[in-house]
Amino acid sequence: MFESIFTFLFKYEPLVFEQGRFVLGASQQMWLVVAMAGAVGAYAIWTYRQLAAIGGRDRAFLLALRAPLLLLALFALLRPTLQLKVAVPQQNFVGILIDDSKSMQVADQDGKPRSDFVMSQLGRADAPLLTALGKRFQLRVFRFSSSAERLQSASDLTFEGTGTRLGDAFDRARDELSGLPVAGLVLIGDGSDNSEKTLDEPIAALKAQALPVFPVGVGKERMTRDVQVTRVETPRRALKGTSLVLDLVVTQTGYAGVKVPLIVEDEGRIVGTQDITLPGDGESETVKVRLKTMDAGARVFRFRVPVQASEEVAQNNQRDALIEVFNRREKILFLEGEPRPEPKFIRQATDEDDNLQLVLLQRTAQATVSVPDKFLRLGVDGPEELATGFPATREELFGYRAIILGSVEASAFTPEQQRMLEDFVDVRGGGLLMLGGARSFAEGGWAGTPLADALPVVLDRASRGPEYPPAELVVRPTRAGLSHPATQITDTEADAAAKWRDLPPVTSLNPVVQTKPGASVLLTGLDGKGREQVVFAFQRYGRGRALVLPVQDTWMWRMHSKMDVKDPTHHTFWQRLARWLVDGVPDRVMAAGAPDRVQKGEPVTLTAEVMDPEFKGVNDGRITARVTAPSGKVEDVPMEWTVEHEGEYYARFTPTEDGLHRVSVGGTTKDGTDTGRGAAVIRVAPSDAEYFDAAMRGSLLRRIADETEGRFYTPANADKLVDAITYSGKGVTVVEDRELWDMPIVLLGLLGLMGGEWVFRRKRGLA
Amino acid sequence: MWTRAGTLLVVAVVAGFAGVVTAHAQRGGSRPQSQSYTGNVPYDGRFVFVRLSYPWFGRGGARWAHDYPRGEEHFLKIWSEISCAPSHTDASSIISLSDPELFKFPVAYMAEPGYWSMSDAEAKNLRDYLAKGGFLILDDFRNQEWGNFELMMTKALPDGRWVDLDIKSPIFHSFFEITSLDVVPQAYDAGRPMFRGWYQDNDPNKRLMVVAAYNTDMSEFWEWSDTGYAAIDVTNEAYKIGINLFMYGLTH
Repeated sequence: MFESIFTFLFKYEPLVFEQGRFVLGASQQMWLVVAMAGAVGAYAIWTYRQLAAIGGRDRAFLLALRAPLLLLALFALLRPTLQLKVAVPQQNFVGILIDDSKSMQVADQDGKPRSDFVMSQLGRADAPLLTALGKRFQLRVFRFSSSAERLQSASDLTFEGTGTRLGDAFDRARDELSGLPVAGLVLIGDGSDNSEKTLDEPIAALKAQALPVFPVGVGKERMTRDVQVTRVETPRRALKGTSLVLDLVVTQTGYAGVKVPLIVEDEGRIVGTQDITLPGDGESETVKVRLKTMDAGARVFRFRVPVQASEEVAQNNQRDALIEVFNRREKILFLEGEPRPEPKFIRQATDEDDNLQLVLLQRTAQATVSVPDKFLRLGVDGPEELATGFPATREELFGYRAIILGSVEASAFTPEQQRMLEDFVDVRGGGLLMLGGARSFAEGGWAGTPLADALPVVLDRASRGPEYPPAELVVRPTRAGLSHPATQITDTEADAAAKWRDLPPVTSLNPVVQTKPGASVLLTGLDGKGREQVVFAFQRYGRGRALVLPVQDTWMWRMHSKMDVKDPTHHTFWQRLARWLVDGVPDRVMAAGAPDRVQKGEPVTLTAEVMDPEFKGVNDGRITARVTAPSGKVEDVPMEWTVEHEGEYYARFTPTEDGLHRVSVGGTTKDGTDTGRGAAVIRVAPSDAEYFDAAMRGSLLRRIADETEGRFYTPANADKLVDAITYSGKGVTVVEDRELWDMPIVLLGLLGLMGGEWVFRRKRGLA
Repeated sequence: MWTRAGTLLVVAVVAGFAGVVTAHAQRGGSRPQSQSYTGNVPYDGRFVFVRLSYPWFGRGGARWAHDYPRGEEHFLKIWSEISCAPSHTDASSIISLSDPELFKFPVAYMAEPGYWSMSDAEAKNLRDYLAKGGFLILDDFRNQEWGNFELMMTKALPDGRWVDLDIKSPIFHSFFEITSLDVVPQAYDAGRPMFRGWYQDNDPNKRLMVVAAYNTDMSEFWEWSDTGYAAIDVTNEAYKIGINLFMYGLTH
């Protein structure tokens, strides 16, 4: 409507004004005429000023009418012109890039699939858009999805592509058209792009070659009825039997406030269901999903919301996640500095877990001048393990995946052992937990030690011993603690809040109140005087994480008379805490594939971190990735040291089969020492990425158009596309002048001003 | 050995606590109840020697109080000197099986279980105490006293079975390396001293919950260790066994 009125008034459509260069084409004689007209105008003004019969305000009004009149006449006399660079017919090429991916099957064009527009406008020899473009340009048609190819005809499109890589499509078209006069690229699609790479480089390349892109965005920019499981955050690896708390993001339009079930499946078997209430239209909601890894192996977990009535896209209601579930015993070293019940109860809890091995080194007598510390060793693998007490070498210490320090003073360790403890977290990437007690934290002289840097809390440097009686603390979870995997004492968040309220108090000799900026507090405790202190906090430190639990008797959650004998809270708390302590702790060889899900024929980047027993990077090793395909076919892929990072290797691999590919990485160091092996799993399967965020991405398409000096269109105005390319000024062009003096707006202006003056004079009796 | 001096001492102690320590008969012929001592050590996380009390109406001092308090006083001195367990060395506690405070102390000691009696509620408490992770040490009984003791234990754990502990049992290696049970001193004119255990679920691979020092009386040696009552080496063995039992209970 606006464009029609504009075109009527200004003779040309807005595009012409945008693309054209404005000039005044008046000859020298005409300038003389203009000068004379100016003189006449000045005389007219002078005469107005001489007329005593006209009052000041009337004179000003008449001047306000006459002056524009004269200026308008002057404008017309100066021969205003738009100069346009117009593509020479059939001398230029236009690349037409058509999205051939599955998202084009989404039926959001009045119930018809997006591909209908493509087929109706380009799919036949006499299709309107194809015909219009073909009249002025030489055409080159490309299809693109995961890859891009030249097409003879748009009728060859299948719309079955399982990915969209816009950048690759632009690069392919540029290559194909290089050296030819190109007026522009037409991109027809929904703007989806699920490539790992950003579009910055391909767009920069287009700009460098002055290639404008004219996207035609097909589809709705916002779905009207759709539920989407947008994202689910899962670890790549987990210990068998671990209770995971996952963040799942669900987005919807058209179903605000509707309660729907969220179903979790493990390899097709339903392992959990919970009701979720859908957020407002266009909003995202993060849902905590609890999941237990029951079976070992590479497991595909599916998170799905049943398809709702009249949903536009059904395929985005589910997300798959591959989790490699390990079934092994994770070894935790627990050093306790005194005989007390806390370790015994923790062992009772962890001993029930087949995947945890708690090795307890409990000091029962302290060293004297002539006798060293006396230790009780429990849970060791053999008589040699910890025979001389706490490990004296990094190699021995770093063999454990986590450390628990009980009530043991800092001076029980040599300075080197204290540095080793810090490096256990920082360099080895292990988990370390310091428990409360008379000899831990500031009371144990830990302030100012290397390990104090790793802890998430600030230790009081003032030297003091424990003060009795201890503070009796009622423990409460923080908001984060309610849903954190380390503090899950029940299967649901609602039950957890009630359970925490019911637990008996614990006591603390370590009044820890100040946390470090990067720390997360999960549990706090309130004493009888209303003072609050940290009960459980953690922070990441280097490659690992450090935790503190400055209470001395969580065993009260088991033994207290208030606790029912069958109450599993204490055991659940410690099993989950211990599992979280070892969660994500790296092995000496860590392998990964990026992305961990690809389609057949797509390359995967294999990376590996290879460490020696002291967790120093192994450089220049002979490292190989052995990839075993589902068919049993084995391929050895040599890996190269990246040089940029210690012990980091990479290789590229392209799977040729669908299914799970198992990668085993290992080799030898420069001097021939075996490095050990690490494993990863890569899932090769058709991608479903096309159905996620399936609304037409107008913002991206507009950005591409703006940055390349093209224009964005929709199916509704795609017929204007041909003119836009014609006047884009790119390719082989000729300059055309479009005169503006005869625009209807000029005539209307002149008549309007003259008419206005006449009416005014009539009213004032001056005519 | 139950000596006259020991009897007098216990009588004096019990009289001194004027009824708050010992068992009381309830009026009207109802079942007698035991009570905890009101001057017990409040829980603060440190080790407390906890002696279990039970109802007693016999003549003389209460049987459960034999060797009290010198037995634990001496034991605690040795315990705190030898181990690094943070402990209350100048006081101990007397707690009945009906007292919820018992659950704050995971190791408990009972003397003279041959004369032990308890209510159904106390039996349940003991069952819960052991099931939750508590450890019970029984000492100072012999010969036919086993029958009453076993009856009481069966009341708490009807399906429990006693297992004779041999020298391989970790309890004899939890602090001192005891190499032979022949070194265990004999305080009675009874048979050979024996250590019997009660395992969780009757499975010797699981947690030992109860240990009974039968046909011996370790605390007798502790009590008189500052006199010439017994030879030093014999007394030493009694201390070593006792420390191992408590250390085991505290750490296992």
